[in-house]
Amino acid sequence: MRLRSPEVGLGEHDSPGEASSRRAVLGTAALAGLVAGLPFFRGLFRLGDALGSPSKAQDAKILQLVLQLEYTQVALYEQALDQAGLDGELRAFAEAALAHEREHVAAIRKALGANAGSKPTFDFGSRIKSAEAFRKAAIDLEDTAVAGYNGQATNLTKATLGAAATIVSVEARHAAWVRAIAGEVAAPDAVDTPMTAEQVARSLRELGMRTQ
Amino acid sequence: MNGFPHFDQFLTAVDRDAALAETSSRAEAALSRRGLLGITLGAVGAIVFGKTSVAEAGAGLPASDVDILNYALVLEYLQASFYTEAERSGALSGATAQAVKVVGATERAHVKAFRELLGSRAVARPTFDFQGVTEQQRPFLRTAVAFEDLAVEAYKGQAPKVRSNAVLAAAVGIHSVEARHAAWMRELFGITPAVNAFDRPASRAKINRIVASTHFIVSRPRMKARNKPHFTG
Amino acid sequence: MRHGTRLAAAITAATFVGLLLAGLGVSHREKSIATATGFAALPPAPAPVLKVGRPKMLSGERYVSRWTVVRRPTAAHAAPSASSVVVARLGVSAPEGTPNLLAVLRARTGAGGALWVMVRLPVLPNGTVGWVSRRSLGSYQVVKTHLVVDRRRLQATLYQNGKSVFTAPVGVGTAVAPTPAGDFTIRSKLTRYASPFYGPVAFGTTARSAVLTDWPDGGFIGLHGTNQPGLIPGRISHGCIRMRNEDIVRLSRLMPVGTPLAIR
Repeated sequence: MRLRSPEVGLGEHDSPGEASSRRAVLGTAALAGLVAGLPFFRGLFRLGDALGSPSKAQDAKILQLVLQLEYTQVALYEQALDQAGLDGELRAFAEAALAHEREHVAAIRKALGANAGSKPTFDFGSRIKSAEAFRKAAIDLEDTAVAGYNGQATNLTKATLGAAATIVSVEARHAAWVRAIAGEVAAPDAVDTPMTAEQVARSLRELGMRTQ
Repeated sequence: MNGFPHFDQFLTAVDRDAALAETSSRAEAALSRRGLLGITLGAVGAIVFGKTSVAEAGAGLPASDVDILNYALVLEYLQASFYTEAERSGALSGATAQAVKVVGATERAHVKAFRELLGSRAVARPTFDFQGVTEQQRPFLRTAVAFEDLAVEAYKGQAPKVRSNAVLAAAVGIHSVEARHAAWMRELFGITPAVNAFDRPASRAKINRIVASTHFIVSRPRMKARNKPHFTG
Repeated sequence: MRHGTRLAAAITAATFVGLLLAGLGVSHREKSIATATGFAALPPAPAPVLKVGRPKMLSGERYVSRWTVVRRPTAAHAAPSASSVVVARLGVSAPEGTPNLLAVLRARTGAGGALWVMVRLPVLPNGTVGWVSRRSLGSYQVVKTHLVVDRRRLQATLYQNGKSVFTAPVGVGTAVAPTPAGDFTIRSKLTRYASPFYGPVAFGTTARSAVLTDWPDGGFIGLHGTNQPGLIPGRISHGCIRMRNEDIVRLSRLMPVGTPLAIR
């Protein structure tokens, strides 16, 4: 079975019978294949690199940032589902988005291992006290996530970029979904503007994240 | 629509449970190495018109990035033409009609931006025959969902291959907008806007196969001839 | 979808774990994101090389006309239903050797979900419309021009987005072989046929002479140049719309095939 790197489409050359057994194998095989394909083992991470050019160390720093983003999303959705009186499609959205953000947290924590930042505390204030306040906060947070990921795209190594790309589009879907629920224009901009890491951190603090 | 096996499978998956089922399909040999328009990698330059101008913003870009940009441009042409034709058909109503006005305008803006960046190296707009899909609301929405999900997969698949940071920064800013569109069309169609926690990339081969299976890209009708006129005079 | 999620998660997680295996050596200090130096070291995104302008809504839509070609031989019906009367049979070619171009008016979904399209038919009586199965038609093309031929003033005017961009005197049919009034379409462009009578370029239209019904190729009205420019303007032809050669050459640079033609 040929292994594929993440940016190549999956399942394209399988006949129906092969597809499911290939999927079962690919989980562990992919790991081996990806690791073998990555340039780590050819050289150590470069301490002397110019500040800012992609590196494993920089990837880790960025992942710490987006982990905080994902923690914030999990907390907002959890608390809103508990307290904001959500029902109907807004509730369904919050439940689905929460499940996704939890998977994001799990994946990023796994990648960072013991060095994964711990969960901050949160004070969302009135944002989780009503459905409408929550909806606005969710839009802000999802838009921040999109802008944050996009802002780091050129700072990531290609492998991590590929992985991050699988997440950012889901955040963008969330943002459009929650806008559409209220009958708003779901995609008001023709292009999404990136945010710097500092802007993301500031936005998270404004939304209610409190670091240790 | 008969005769579009890959696209039908694609749409069926969208219809069934809003998940993108992996299209189990055999590679069409003629398409596995060719682009959406039957153009091989590197032959893009042969089909542009006009002179190459060194003053173009895109002049300093690596050839592989120009190729990726042109690939994205074809998908943007497809979407822009699709939404524009649907808006003009008069077949859409309600929230869908309103959404199509916005999304169509956005895709047209994307086309314009790519063409300006690529200048004389931009691939020409193909001719599209949407075969009635733009003229009935339900089939339109189903196909719009598929196109947007496809665009998201395509950008995702190409992003790690982009060499210039400036192009990458531009591509990610459009990729997330296409994802918003995808969610919007899904919501209008009545299926969940975000199925999975992780969206998958797709290879060019897979995208090409799916687009080719629609037969939406056709040759331009030739309306000129050298026949002797036999009008009444 | 389960498979997709698990698979995608496996890939993504595997990538992240790959990073882990490289031994990142992230210091304890970097656990907190609040370090200013941590973020200052992350460069901002480069300036976008793609300048996406403000999205614009469609405009000038009242000047939009659509046309298509017959993709496979088909019947045009009086109503959007295969069981209604056949008004005309359409082949894939016009007599002048070009694809059979039809103006698209509107579409309707018939019983059973089939899509029918109302088109202008190049048949007598002039102005006949009919319904054709969408499956037998090709791609839709759009023009924003329209040509008006005024038989009383003996003048042709081309409009682009509602604005006049061309005007010229014309010759039209005599009283016994008049140019018919109505709404038609410019459906072909003929060049290099070497016939001075028709001038350098001739456009085919979907208009037909109501009197010269036995004419070869059906008696279609053309729009063309002339070897007798002194007769223009005038009522001089067998129905065709004639223009001086320099005028029709000028027109041919402005008027795409598919342009609607109104003869008044």
